[in-house]
Amino acid sequence: MRDDLKVGVFLCECGGNISDVIDLDRVREELDVEFVGQFENLCSLNGRKIIRDAIFDHDLDRVVVAACSPISHEKTFQDYVKPLNPYLMDMANIREQCSWVHDDSKKATNKAITLINASIEKVKQSDAVDPIYCQTPDEVAIIGGGIAGMNAALSLARQGTKVTIIEQSPSIGGHMAKIGKVFSPVKIAEECGMCLLNPILNELVWNNNIEVLTNAKVIEAERRAGTYNLIVEQSPRYVDIEKCIACGKCAQVCEVEVPDDWNDGLSTRKAIYRPFGQSYPESYVIDMENCTKCGECFRECNMKAIKLRGKNERIPLQVGSIIVATGHKLFDMNKRPEYGYTRYDDVITQSELGRITGVNGPTKGKLLKSNGEVPKRVVMIQCVGSRDEKPDGHKYCSKICCTVALKNANIIKHKNPDTDVVVCYTDVRTPGMFEKYYKHTQENEVRFIRGRPGEVVKKGDSFIVRTEDTLKGEFIEIEADMVVLSTAMEPSDGTIEIAEILNIGTTEDGFIKESHPKIKPVTTDVQGVFVCGTAQDPKDITESIMQATASASKVSEYNYGGVEIEPFIAEIDKEKCNLCGDCIQRCKYKAMSIQNDEIYIDPMACTGCGKCLIGCAHKAITVNGNIDEKITATIKGVLSKKQPDERTILVFLDNIGYTAADNIGVNRLSYPESIHIIKVISVNRVRPKHIKYALENGADGVFIGEFPGDLMYDEVERKVQRVKKTLEELNEDPERIAFSKVYIPYFTGLARKLIDFDKQIQELNEAES
Amino acid sequence: MSSKQNIDDSPIDFAEEIIHDYKNSKDEGVLKCVQCGMCTSTCPAARHSDYNPRDIIERVLDGDKSILNDDLLWNCFYCYTCHSVCPVGNSVCEVNQILKQIAISNEIGYDKLYEYMGFADSYFTAAIGAIPEIFFEDIKKDVPGWWEFRQNLGEIRDELELTPPLMPSKEVIDEVSKILTITGFKEKIEKIRSSQEVSQ
Repeated sequence: MRDDLKVGVFLCECGGNISDVIDLDRVREELDVEFVGQFENLCSLNGRKIIRDAIFDHDLDRVVVAACSPISHEKTFQDYVKPLNPYLMDMANIREQCSWVHDDSKKATNKAITLINASIEKVKQSDAVDPIYCQTPDEVAIIGGGIAGMNAALSLARQGTKVTIIEQSPSIGGHMAKIGKVFSPVKIAEECGMCLLNPILNELVWNNNIEVLTNAKVIEAERRAGTYNLIVEQSPRYVDIEKCIACGKCAQVCEVEVPDDWNDGLSTRKAIYRPFGQSYPESYVIDMENCTKCGECFRECNMKAIKLRGKNERIPLQVGSIIVATGHKLFDMNKRPEYGYTRYDDVITQSELGRITGVNGPTKGKLLKSNGEVPKRVVMIQCVGSRDEKPDGHKYCSKICCTVALKNANIIKHKNPDTDVVVCYTDVRTPGMFEKYYKHTQENEVRFIRGRPGEVVKKGDSFIVRTEDTLKGEFIEIEADMVVLSTAMEPSDGTIEIAEILNIGTTEDGFIKESHPKIKPVTTDVQGVFVCGTAQDPKDITESIMQATASASKVSEYNYGGVEIEPFIAEIDKEKCNLCGDCIQRCKYKAMSIQNDEIYIDPMACTGCGKCLIGCAHKAITVNGNIDEKITATIKGVLSKKQPDERTILVFLDNIGYTAADNIGVNRLSYPESIHIIKVISVNRVRPKHIKYALENGADGVFIGEFPGDLMYDEVERKVQRVKKTLEELNEDPERIAFSKVYIPYFTGLARKLIDFDKQIQELNEAES
Repeated sequence: MSSKQNIDDSPIDFAEEIIHDYKNSKDEGVLKCVQCGMCTSTCPAARHSDYNPRDIIERVLDGDKSILNDDLLWNCFYCYTCHSVCPVGNSVCEVNQILKQIAISNEIGYDKLYEYMGFADSYFTAAIGAIPEIFFEDIKKDVPGWWEFRQNLGEIRDELELTPPLMPSKEVIDEVSKILTITGFKEKIEKIRSSQEVSQ
């Protein structure tokens, strides 16, 4: 009956992305279906009409779209197959997993035919089902309390959303709090950064929709459809923020002096301290690593706010979406000893110069060298760690350093017109209105030398900066008594950690990767997680705020519009169910509960993994959508036309693994043509019978990948072990089955594992023949 | 100075030739040069002469083959500092070696090579490279103590209880000489020597 269904196949050339490698003429010849069409760009609006007309004209029951990855365009084509039910369409991924990973046109064409045949077999087993719409909780976690995180929080809170800011340091404010002055390219003037930051900070403090957790970090995240359960670890402050009135008497009596990191170590602070004048929460904090527990502060505090004992607290947080605003850090100058930063006090970074020229800094805003004298000549060196392909450098341009140097050069010139300022640059990048500020800087008699200095050496009381004036073609030695390095921006440790915890993709440079660099600049590859600020790439304050408000807007869309959930979830036959509760115990996602004397399955939580099916004595549970049959049919489709000399390896991946596999193609890496990736709702749905069926019907190997953060990971790993054992008992080689961890960011690792597994299978085949 | 680029000129061909030289280990490095001058800023030859590694790359990218005749090319002595500091992964030092090789193949720079003939000779007489005697006077001037050290090397070794240095045996020397003759090294050396000695 299902074999009689009329299937139409639509081949997309993808503007050459597919047709340049795959011979679509041959594909058309080889397919045995009711209708085959081929188009240049099927995802364009014309595609809708082309597909709909063919469905009507040929009375099609099922549709296969052979194009890009379903991750890219499944939603588009589910829409285009109307009036057919969206789940009667299946996509054969002949771009990310075929034309982008294989060079050999003949082999790639063969594989494309196999992938399409598998989709045809699969789609014949599909039934019409309706998607489920769900609402996510209107609560948001914002990770990072810098200028980006604060603006995202305010935007959402003003729209009525409950926001929790999770900040790892003792105060929110981020880099902007210590930056000193800022400038805008339109107003040719520098203005007080703190004065701009403070109103934002104040509004945030008074907004009832915002809660701020400082000294806090996300340590665990569990995702259940539209909801995140976060565990936040908060380390103690040792000062009760409710009682502390920030009078500062405690710090006066504290005898411990340590470098003040807020001043980049250029001054000292006490072990009990307030990070900076306007810090929030408005309370002191004890740096327990340096505290001697002498008890002086405790005795001095009239408010009895100090508690010398305390331990880490774990706070659970349930939110609908997350904004990552974990920011950047600056390039480690230990990596460039040739500039003498670690050896000489008067070789400093732009960040330190910002502190020195800041009125709330170590010198109260006076430009002074470490010996207390005003420098006669300041030389700035650009691109330190940026635009640098050496192994420990960054290939990218950090984008803000040119304008930061201009700003600091102007500030020096305003205060100390007699100090000569020289900027050694490779290119001055001042796009748009910033160019006006560059001209203004030249008018202020700041000098520019085009050349990238190789080293800074000490000579007597001053330094020699060695460079070439490349415009003159002359090697020069510039004498200077202060050298300022424009260091690269790189992802903060927090950015790298949170990417791992939330399993979001990162770029090769370690920044959070947006799901599309051009048209989706604030969404990540994980649904419900958004990014803004310098966690995503180097940018200035204005751009950070723009991206922050954009991410807040995306969160609102998500919160108010709801989430569409694939309907392949468990369903209870109430007639058969005797409320034994076995499924409730079994479900790792806590999707099952008893409500009004019935089993209720939360559609947001259920992943359709099918674990509950096993224990149900009355067979009262089914998972919608013929999943088992579809997997068998796909395997059958892949293997149906297998040639004797061909090697076929089946790779089963869920959404996460499949995205990682797509990334291999997106980054134009490759793996052998023998690899055939089959996307499943949950890896747990690949039953032992599927594996057995595959190996008995010609598959040379089976590879199962699972994200270790998935709650079913251990279960699946054990299951694969069991299947291997059974195979051994049946005298089959268990090495033909592989189980592996997969991560979205680590697609290179997946490619390597697939290559290695193919080699292993090849050796097994050779040994057996 | 002005120059004209005709529609059919392809200055980049010179850089391509260098990229495809077997000695080039830096892939497309030359093409990625942004003329930042970091090589020149650290180059000892640039500090003490008019040699300018950045300028070498500029001229290569311009397709300026007159560089093969430029005496300055011979001021680089392969310290590899430019190679290790280049932010785009280029190596002027390697490019320099490739340029010199092209020059030599075109019979350019024999006068420069002539000074080094002593090195070549030592391969035939000892099967190892040795400092040619014509450099001794200069080294004596530049490196204090070097001459005394060299004169008393035997005694110093005795004092340190070191055995006499291991030198290649006669068979080895004969074999090396044979290889150098068969591969055309000897012929090339003789050609360079005769060209200079005739002209002198």
